[in-house]
Amino acid sequence: MPWDYSDKVRQLFMDAVAGKAGTHMGEIPDADGVGRHGSIACGDAMEFMFRVEKDADDPHRDRIVESRYRTFGCTSAIASSEALCRLLEERRLTPVEALAIKNADIVDYLDGLPPQKLHCSVMGAEALQAAVVDWARRRGVPSADLGIDPALLEEDEGRIVCRCFNLTEPYIRRKIKELGLSTIDDVTAAIKAGGACTACHHEPGGIQDLLDETWGGRPEPAPARPAAEAQKKAHRTPYQLAKEIERVLEQVVRPRLAADGGDLEIVDIRDRKVFCRLQGVCAGCAGARQTLRFVVEDALREAVDPEITVIEV
Amino acid sequence: MAGRTIYLDNNATTPVASEVLEAMMPYFKGEFFNPGSTYDQARGPRDAVETARERVARMLGCGSKSEVIFTASATEGNNAAIWGTLRANAERRHVVTTAVEHPAVLEVAREAARTGWRVTFLPVDSAGRLDAAALVRAIEKDTAIVSVMYANNETGVVFPVEDLARLVKEVDPAVVFHTDATQVAGKLPIDLSGRLRGVDILTLSGHKLHAPKGVGAMFVRRGTRWRPWVIGGHQERGRRAGTENVPYAVGLGRACELATTHLLEAVRLRRVQQRLERDVLARIPFSRVNGQGAERLPNTTSFAFDYVEGEAILFSLNERGICASSGSACTSGSLDPSHVLKAMGVPFTAAHGSLRISTSAYTADADVDALLESLPGIIEGLRRGSPYWDVARNAPKEGADVFVAGKYREK
Repeated sequence: MPWDYSDKVRQLFMDAVAGKAGTHMGEIPDADGVGRHGSIACGDAMEFMFRVEKDADDPHRDRIVESRYRTFGCTSAIASSEALCRLLEERRLTPVEALAIKNADIVDYLDGLPPQKLHCSVMGAEALQAAVVDWARRRGVPSADLGIDPALLEEDEGRIVCRCFNLTEPYIRRKIKELGLSTIDDVTAAIKAGGACTACHHEPGGIQDLLDETWGGRPEPAPARPAAEAQKKAHRTPYQLAKEIERVLEQVVRPRLAADGGDLEIVDIRDRKVFCRLQGVCAGCAGARQTLRFVVEDALREAVDPEITVIEV
Repeated sequence: MAGRTIYLDNNATTPVASEVLEAMMPYFKGEFFNPGSTYDQARGPRDAVETARERVARMLGCGSKSEVIFTASATEGNNAAIWGTLRANAERRHVVTTAVEHPAVLEVAREAARTGWRVTFLPVDSAGRLDAAALVRAIEKDTAIVSVMYANNETGVVFPVEDLARLVKEVDPAVVFHTDATQVAGKLPIDLSGRLRGVDILTLSGHKLHAPKGVGAMFVRRGTRWRPWVIGGHQERGRRAGTENVPYAVGLGRACELATTHLLEAVRLRRVQQRLERDVLARIPFSRVNGQGAERLPNTTSFAFDYVEGEAILFSLNERGICASSGSACTSGSLDPSHVLKAMGVPFTAAHGSLRISTSAYTADADVDALLESLPGIIEGLRRGSPYWDVARNAPKEGADVFVAGKYREK
């Protein structure tokens, strides 16, 4: 697809990468607030920092006087980062006031972004918010003064809905509300959730469910499996079933896990119960082991038999 | 944007050769007749299509031109190859293919898997190579078709189709062997009656070898258990219905004829490729060539640059007039990086920063010089802005991947 970037996006990107005077790519050695958002696995990540002119009496009156970023990402991600710094520079805001800058302000500053690139502007707003939270912690400003529900920040750790981008249920719920997202496409455009394997779109507890629960939609009935397929599956002998499970694990699941540095070892297969051991770098993440188990189980259920359960040994 | 266009994306499409365009022109107006009509005037177009067929057959080295069918694209050919084989072998319910196929095969295989067939997707190793033993083991009693691409469009890795086809036939001669040769036609010699005897169906596209978009060809070996996919007319001996696209078939025929001379350019392109790779690897730290160590096409190089994002590279190149492509997530419709690089286990720190350079016989050495002039500076500039990059050491930061999506707090 050809680039749909505004002249503003093009200009900010080219100037920033060329390191022209007045651009903001880089670091501040003694920054007062540092925030990060994104992950290289997701294709973009931003580190944002600012320095304040400290008010001797009241940290609430600190003013942001300098900001910098380092961003791994596409053209619009870098342009969004640059735009954020310029917005801050023009306005000389306090960190709390800066929280009013939303992704829509960044999009406006850029004279628009293609829909599939909106998540780049969201990343900018998220990193700013994270940096302000960091500043508040350092300056002893109570988080209640930021007007952000601290519970929301805590809750972002939770059940992972979008496994490809490692996005949690509380986070997706919060963004659905904050940004007024009403369809799966909106969610993907804004925060990428559901943008890769698409498995989380309509599964129970998936993005559609979260949308329905937020906006009061009615969940669609689960599509019935074709009778012929169920029939075919019922005819397998236990031996064939075991072989089939083994085949799917070896040829579908293991390569998929391997792509993320993980692996799986089959311990035993008893009828529709698959006992296995999960290994790899993912095992380090919070909740990842559980997620891994679901990934394996989903793959087996889809490819072999809906009754299969995976048991981690 | 620079005035001159430097086109290094020939695996996406190629310019139509002047000779090709010239050969096509008479068949739009003067010789517009339907080749299926009975009057004398139809003879010109009819003969032209048959001459074109002969030229395609000659390039493919197949025994008889009647084994060549014109299609609208390689995508159509791939659909026809797989569905046509499955329909003709109804008792066989298994398909074997690879994890790195073009979507025109991969999606068809997935659709088959969704609609009642069993499908085996063979993995590749880190250099993008296929394990022939794995292919042999994958064949089951009721395998209908093995579909393995000849060369990969993203990395240029060439599969040993000759050996693979032979092995498949050793295991079970009734298994139909299909190869998508889209990226090979015009780049490597093809000899279907010689060393590629085991190939039953081969598909290709015109616009990758300087014919226009919208025309392709498929070879179906005589005696192959296959049924036509596009039906509703007697054209192409009843194997592909639809009025012959006369000018485009003529164009493809002429392009296949030219391909014989273009093959001579392969030596030069190989030299250009070696220089490009040597220079880039020497001048840009933490860069690699995807598929290094495997046999590769002389015209294709897929680079991966750690900790930079491919779309930003492409955009920067394009600002200097250079056209290339990337397997980066941001350049595709999906947000997922290339399935090919993932299948090869290229780490995500590099998969997002891939850059594909693909040349053709019309690529000048100076085009590659222009790329070499711009690229190191672009990568350096983007790394300067990458949070994972330590500018002072010109190397990735220690423990670079600490960012976690959707969370405010540091780990």
